[in-house]
Amino acid sequence: MLRFIIRRVVVIIPMLLIILSITWGLIRLAPGNFYTAEKKLAPAIEQNLREKYGLNKPWYVQYRKVLWNMVRFDFGDSLKYEGQSVNQILLKALPVSLTLGLCAYLFALAVGITTGTLAALRQNSWIDYASMTLAMLGISIPNFVLGPLLALVFALTLFWLPPALWEGFPSRSIILPSLTLSALYIAYIARLTRSGMLEVLRSDYIRTARAKGLSERQVIFRHALRGGLLPVVSFSGPALAFLITGTVVVERVFSLPGLGNYFINACFNRDEPLIIGIVAFIAIAVLGFNLLVDISYGIIDPRIRY
Amino acid sequence: MADNTSRCLVTLLLVLGLITAGCTASANSKLFFGKSEPPRDNVMRYVSGSEPESLDPAISDGQPEARIYMALYEGLVEYDPKTTTPIPALAERWEVNKDSSELTFHLRHNGRFSNGDRITAGDFVFTIQRGLTPKLGSRNAALAYYIKYAQAFNEGSVFVQDPVNGQFLLTKDFEEDKTPPAIAADPKVETPKPRGPLSSQPGQTVAAEYPTTPDEKPDADTAFHQFMHSPDRLTLPVDEKKRTKVVDANPKLKSAINGKQMVPVEAKDIGVEAVDDYTLRISLAQAAPFFLSLMPHQFFRVVNRKAIEKYGNAWTLEQNIVTSGPFKLVSWKHYDRVIVERDPMYWDNAQVKLDGIIFYAVVEGSTIMNLYKAGEIDAMLNHTVQAAWLDTIAPYKDYMDAPEATTEFYNFNCSKPPTNDVRVRKALNMSVDKKAVGAWRHQMPLTSITPEGMFPGYPQPKGDPFDPEKAKGLLADAGYVDGSGKFDPKKFPVDQIEITINPDGNNIPLAEFIQAQWKQNLGVTIPIKVMEQKTSLVARAKLEYKGIFRTGWGADYMDPFTFLGLYYTAAGNNGTGWWDPKYVALLDEANSTGDQQKRFELLARAEAMALDAQPIMPLMTASARWMKKPYIKGMYPNAGSLFAWKWVYIERDQAKWDYGVPSMTGP
Repeated sequence: MLRFIIRRVVVIIPMLLIILSITWGLIRLAPGNFYTAEKKLAPAIEQNLREKYGLNKPWYVQYRKVLWNMVRFDFGDSLKYEGQSVNQILLKALPVSLTLGLCAYLFALAVGITTGTLAALRQNSWIDYASMTLAMLGISIPNFVLGPLLALVFALTLFWLPPALWEGFPSRSIILPSLTLSALYIAYIARLTRSGMLEVLRSDYIRTARAKGLSERQVIFRHALRGGLLPVVSFSGPALAFLITGTVVVERVFSLPGLGNYFINACFNRDEPLIIGIVAFIAIAVLGFNLLVDISYGIIDPRIRY
Repeated sequence: MADNTSRCLVTLLLVLGLITAGCTASANSKLFFGKSEPPRDNVMRYVSGSEPESLDPAISDGQPEARIYMALYEGLVEYDPKTTTPIPALAERWEVNKDSSELTFHLRHNGRFSNGDRITAGDFVFTIQRGLTPKLGSRNAALAYYIKYAQAFNEGSVFVQDPVNGQFLLTKDFEEDKTPPAIAADPKVETPKPRGPLSSQPGQTVAAEYPTTPDEKPDADTAFHQFMHSPDRLTLPVDEKKRTKVVDANPKLKSAINGKQMVPVEAKDIGVEAVDDYTLRISLAQAAPFFLSLMPHQFFRVVNRKAIEKYGNAWTLEQNIVTSGPFKLVSWKHYDRVIVERDPMYWDNAQVKLDGIIFYAVVEGSTIMNLYKAGEIDAMLNHTVQAAWLDTIAPYKDYMDAPEATTEFYNFNCSKPPTNDVRVRKALNMSVDKKAVGAWRHQMPLTSITPEGMFPGYPQPKGDPFDPEKAKGLLADAGYVDGSGKFDPKKFPVDQIEITINPDGNNIPLAEFIQAQWKQNLGVTIPIKVMEQKTSLVARAKLEYKGIFRTGWGADYMDPFTFLGLYYTAAGNNGTGWWDPKYVALLDEANSTGDQQKRFELLARAEAMALDAQPIMPLMTASARWMKKPYIKGMYPNAGSLFAWKWVYIERDQAKWDYGVPSMTGP
């Protein structure tokens, strides 16, 4: 087990190197620069800016700096946002994305498992059909449509919740974005729970439990759910990684100061240090979560041994 | 008895009041878009657009930042809330010399920074010198290039001095007559501004230079003032390679430069001088009658030397920042909001009406509209209301629509066929019905280079009218003909031309509209090419685009020259490849004329000349297109969408609300 973990951690290093090199190369290939704007700058001013941010240096010097920054995990100053370092920006943006992602995650688990279980217990009833139809909708409606729709109903018609902006945790402003973000995952989890539960409910050990004379509640909570939720557990690991790093659209629609919003603008702004910083962070997060999931499989499923 | 009557009257009034209140309340929901209840606090909530790059007014050249800077910093002059022309701010009054090449500002004695420091002329000298320092990398620095030796300092140039007698080489000794300066021919290098005449030559007194004012002593004729009025010193690039190139092009200069010493142009050489604590004199390199109108720009807003020297580029962080405007910084939550509050140190604090302002950083148009409708914000930045929503939004009384000093147009690539042929350019321009474009977009159609009706007294020339038949004739002349000599659309090289646009805003539907016009009126289908913005800007700068490029221009200051100056150089913002020394000469002649009417006539002649060459296809004068709640007063849809926040307030009396666009004339 320990050897497996060490081997996986060692593999992460060349992967990061490749990811960063490709990112850096792509930024350099993209036409334009952080100072390119509708109103063109005088050549001398462009020169001053290139000098200031070291863009006049040869490419290998700049590339070396990117790698060295990665090693120290200090990505230097943003080009667009004068006087702010990339690390400061990451530290400010991360809690927002994390809060949003976790809220959506918990919400998805709670609602998804409940509806999935209910649907399985009342198979082919109206509850089953209704929840599975909703799940299908949740999977097929993209969040850039769902977000504005929710805002239209809850913020502009009923005036219950604010339509955008971030008021921190806890506040009413979190509800609509995390609901939008979680819709897809609620749907997946509900479907996974339903099929898992249906399979388990037909199995012999549940029949045994019932035959023993256990109450229905005990059968469900003590025996059926544990088995039925296994697919949900294996899905929820990567889901958490996606929820925390994949908030770009939702952050944009609800104007939230999270990583996704910074990332998309950093690309439009050609803000090289910021793009590299965020890519490095997301890469580490995804690689790390995958490692965690692999490890947890070993713990949950006795058939898997490393 | 008397008691009874008055009681009856009071009751009657109350009932009437309730009825009218009820009526207005129910009418409001139809009059205004969404909730129109004033916020409980005396704090305005404004969406300023994208996240501010920096709170340092020298750094950012963006509009969203400009509006925040207007709350935090003040300059010598401020934009008038209605006309955006300069009005007194930290300068109580000023004088401009006879040929508009020098300005003297008299500062208020009670100006203070947010830390309590007095604001003196020295602070302005520091602000301008710092803004031009090459290391700072200010993107606004070019606005100050009109100041003497400012461009040379910002470009890191050198003077040439004789080590023996200490004399400097002078520009006038090396100028070649009639031909533009040597480097002007190279489109990659910005043409240096030609030196206009200076009214006062060495030896003349200050008193002779300025119009006489009674009981006013002329300011001292200092050694620095003498230096400013001595003939221009020659400046050369500091970079060895570039310098050799310039020197090699001028044999006279090459021989003169031998054995001379290169002296770097320093901050102290720039034409800004603190004559005393409250008198600031700015000497320009050329006559620039429009210079005062660009002085309210953020670049000239005063910053605090102590804070900057102590904290370096971290001086704008909320714990370090020192500001000079009516409001001071409370907090800056990145990608979220900037909160400012009334600054008790501000000299005119008694006039400031709001307790604070929250500037939200929101970019999605629909999100901004949602916030507005839900009553979470009180006003939004310009251009938020998109063309597609106008039919719904325009009838509301809180929709702010007024022409802006901004134009939208298509560039023609004059360096590549087929648009290198002026007949093709004219034909394409004539076959688009600008009136139809304007009507569809709810904006004013435009046929000229300058926006329409923006500059009072300017005799703006009009471009060619809509005339598809004449257009076909021109294209036939250009050689796109069938056997019978008539225009043949099939011969037009649609593979060499495309409408290059970026996908922002309404660019795509507009391009489709124009495409349809050409198809309908000429029978030619020109393809549309969508490019990511920065990618497209590089194509524009290098003239790599095929034929047509969508662009626009917003005035830097309220004068036609801010638009006509686009074609003053071949490089820079020109983007068409059209450049004509005769056009430049006309502009120079205009700017060195003291008489404003004559100047306008000359500028109009230049504009007519450019229209004749048709390097662009004018489309529309932009309109402001934003919304503000009716209870927000003192905010006007002016030509720059720039608001002096100290006069903005929240009106709680419904009778005094704005029902429609507030009057832009009168006090």
